[in-house]
Amino acid sequence: MSRSTLRALWIAALPLLLFPILLCARDGGTNPKPTAATNAQSEGERLFAVNCGRCHQPPMSISPRTTGTIVMHMRVRARLSRKDEQALLKFLAP
Amino acid sequence: MKLWWIGTGILLATCWVHAQNPDSARTDAGYTPVLSGSMGYIHNVNGGITSLEPQVETVLLVPFGSHVLLESRAEFFGFFQRENQTTGPFTGKVFKSVDYAQVDWLANTHVIASAGAFLLPFGLYNERLAPLWIRNLQDTPITDNVGTRPNGVGDGVMLRGNAYETPAYSIQYSAYFSARSNINQLEASRLAGGDASIFLKGARLEVGQSFQHLLQEHEINSSGTYVSWQPEKLPLDLKAEFDRSFYGEGYWIESAYKLSQVNVAPAFFSRVQLVPRVQQFHPLNGGGNSLPTKDTQRFDIGVNYYFRDNLRLVSSYGRQFRQQANANIWNAGITYRFVWPLWPGRK
Repeated sequence: MSRSTLRALWIAALPLLLFPILLCARDGGTNPKPTAATNAQSEGERLFAVNCGRCHQPPMSISPRTTGTIVMHMRVRARLSRKDEQALLKFLAP
Repeated sequence: MKLWWIGTGILLATCWVHAQNPDSARTDAGYTPVLSGSMGYIHNVNGGITSLEPQVETVLLVPFGSHVLLESRAEFFGFFQRENQTTGPFTGKVFKSVDYAQVDWLANTHVIASAGAFLLPFGLYNERLAPLWIRNLQDTPITDNVGTRPNGVGDGVMLRGNAYETPAYSIQYSAYFSARSNINQLEASRLAGGDASIFLKGARLEVGQSFQHLLQEHEINSSGTYVSWQPEKLPLDLKAEFDRSFYGEGYWIESAYKLSQVNVAPAFFSRVQLVPRVQQFHPLNGGGNSLPTKDTQRFDIGVNYYFRDNLRLVSSYGRQFRQQANANIWNAGITYRFVWPLWPGRK
């Protein structure tokens, strides 16, 4: 297989990847903007589902005594913001 | 020398910013030292040759307050094959290695400074998907050796963090410098590189780009472009990456789909995950350097069954197409993830 064929296949594959993403975004997949009614617990729950799932299956439970350490580790790996870290801590160990 | 001054300036600036930004929220989260990791056993048959591969990966996390973290990962990997490859008793040995050992200073949202032996943040796989309990297919992608030579680790300093964030998206970055090292267990190349990605929160889509420049021998450049997508309405995890270096270029596309939408026997099917992956590689300049020297295509299909979120059966079949080296590759095994606090504390 030549380099040009390889590159053509990659270029062909990209729209296939991006098309469903555009559909999803158009179909109400936009991020709900935080409102005054959005409490920290639900924001943390949403962040937990969104950020953990980027790499692995979200864990069903985390012991509160280890939560701070685990979230620190995840903040380094996933390059999370300080605000997201605080929201996750409030959700996992309120 | 100039780089050191710039780095020192950034660190001092983050000190000041941190002083202006004390913890605003208090929670019951505990900061005890943790021993985490995974263990597993994989039975591999590659081209008719059977390998038995028990593995244990331990991750040690020791926090000092809520802003400094010492973290390290060690791996114990057994590799056993029949004496004459297809006949005779199984023989082999257990390999031990320190995958990384680093100190992180979580200064603020924008800057996390790491020093020590750190995993090279190149593409999706090396830093994020490699652990035994995370990878959906047990065999690493062919292009995993692009940008991660010699062993996926850099010895030096790294700055990373969240560069910019809005409710709709966030931009992350990593920038690192590694010195050359021949120290046992801490071998590394002299190189510099970086990674930047944008994460669209609503679409749950991440697109990123990695770049690395080797500062020794051939002084080659390596680059990787990746996409990761977990749609909200489907139990799907789609990942793809294209990598290029002096020795070759190739891509892989992997999707992991949980059958939780099947209406028949939901208690069973919601735990089943299907994982197809396709990949192609084209060598440049003769290939080599842990990359194939001939055009290679490979297709894998995996079926995983989750007993719990941390315990699963894994299995896969793959077919590799390479001149005079076509092969069937089978994997079957079990993986388990654990998290143990190392210090008594609040329950």
